[in-house]
Amino acid sequence: MNRIVNVARMQLINKWTFLGIPAVILAGAFLVTYLIWVLIPDGGPTVYSGAAQAVMWYFLALGIQSLTLTFPFSQAMSVSRRTFYIGTVGLFAVVALAISVLYYILGLIEVATNGWGQNGQLYALGWVAGSHAVVQILFYFIAMLALFMVGFWFATIYKRWRATGMLIVWIAIALVLLGLVALTTWQGWWPAVGAWFVAQTPLSVSGWVALFCAVLAAGSYLTLRRAEP
Amino acid sequence: MTAPGESTIIEIRNVTKRYKDTTALDDVSLNIYGGKIYGLLGRNGAGKTTLMSVLTAQGFQTSGEIRVFGEHPYENDRVLSRICFIRESQKYPDDFSAEQAFASAALFFSNWDKAFARRLADDFQLPLKRRIKKLSRGQLSAVGVIIGLASRAEVTFFDEPYLGLDAVARQIFYDRLVEDYSEHQRTIILSSHLIDEVANLLEHVIVIDKGKIMIDDDAEAIRGSAFTVVGTGTRVAAFTAGREILHRESLASLASVSVQGRLSEGERAEAAELGLEVAPVSLQQLIVRRTMDPGPELSMNGAATELEVSP
Repeated sequence: MNRIVNVARMQLINKWTFLGIPAVILAGAFLVTYLIWVLIPDGGPTVYSGAAQAVMWYFLALGIQSLTLTFPFSQAMSVSRRTFYIGTVGLFAVVALAISVLYYILGLIEVATNGWGQNGQLYALGWVAGSHAVVQILFYFIAMLALFMVGFWFATIYKRWRATGMLIVWIAIALVLLGLVALTTWQGWWPAVGAWFVAQTPLSVSGWVALFCAVLAAGSYLTLRRAEP
Repeated sequence: MTAPGESTIIEIRNVTKRYKDTTALDDVSLNIYGGKIYGLLGRNGAGKTTLMSVLTAQGFQTSGEIRVFGEHPYENDRVLSRICFIRESQKYPDDFSAEQAFASAALFFSNWDKAFARRLADDFQLPLKRRIKKLSRGQLSAVGVIIGLASRAEVTFFDEPYLGLDAVARQIFYDRLVEDYSEHQRTIILSSHLIDEVANLLEHVIVIDKGKIMIDDDAEAIRGSAFTVVGTGTRVAAFTAGREILHRESLASLASVSVQGRLSEGERAEAAELGLEVAPVSLQQLIVRRTMDPGPELSMNGAATELEVSP
């Protein structure tokens, strides 16, 4: 247990990676969006911005970096793969949870201040903001975790099987998607699929993505178990 | 071989490691005993790094068994926490400085000596605040050497630790290693192909070539295990007849022959009478000879090969 916590502490030795850069991206995205809102004339409809996603995409990169650079170093620190995995993913989960709560609070402020006084919509996204607080936080949390795990797993696959592995995975993904599209078309399921997507709620989406995360997490761990630094 | 009674800390049984088209370790069996400085010697690509990777569970053997402190090292934090292995091509997080790498090592190695790490950084003139990826090759090696020394792990592996280090820095490393080892007994496994430089540090020598263990013996025993005879060709030939020849060279009428084995007092006197010079073979020469063919029976290309006349 102690060593797991130490893996998290090791990831935090350089404060920028897990804390500083996300904070800068959060603040920067808000500032730029706010300036744009100030510049465009008032009185129009609600102005939506996707800038809040910016930090989430950074987590994809962070997932890749955690593995490619920190994993070989953790091996030199005599840390087992399991300890490294739990410590790293655990730390990320805590950071993601903190940012999710922050997004929820910022969403509340956004609604209370009539979109930061500009009728803007950055955090309290219409579709999600109506849900219960827990669902909102869960939704952001799962989305961030999914991006991190995607980066982490792909980096692990690359670490073990290099370019060949990447190529095979991408071809396999393409074939599976193509197969699903073909099957849906052939069976005439498109209206049903459309209806299914429309029927999704933030909670159900969180559930599906959580399932996806669980697969990614298990896949990453199993791939990492035989990875060499 | 090592005397019984010393505790075995690493057991290696029939370990083989195959990559796609090469066999890096070929049915290796070894015991490593505690409280010694081991030299793991061999040419580049002989299997030194692979062996150390497998022992520290950073890499995987294709077949065979390994026990470290009596347990499997793989995914075993209890065993791993007593080991330190910094690779020759060790990667560090992109934005880490040496200082941050040391702070990290302090988290994981319970015997970490911060003051010692600082002193070593001074000795090696290592800039602590600069990002590791901006360091020179020698400074990068110094980071690994410092982690290895200051971790004071019960078993510490040094993987060609001198790459890019100049002669002065290498001497500092050897000196600090011996000083610290005498105060804090532990097991050091030093891989190297600069055999002469490290020969005097070593208490036990393991020579690996093409994935096989060639020599596994006490350094003292090896030092006296071969000699070179220099003198007139015919006399040398007569004197060395029937012995295991390691290497043979000749220049004009002079011959230099390296022979496996020891000489008795009587044989020494006989050699002196014949006007032959007898000198011990250095560890480096011995390993070079043992890992190469002895050479043709009647070598006449003396001018092209270096004539090894031991002092």
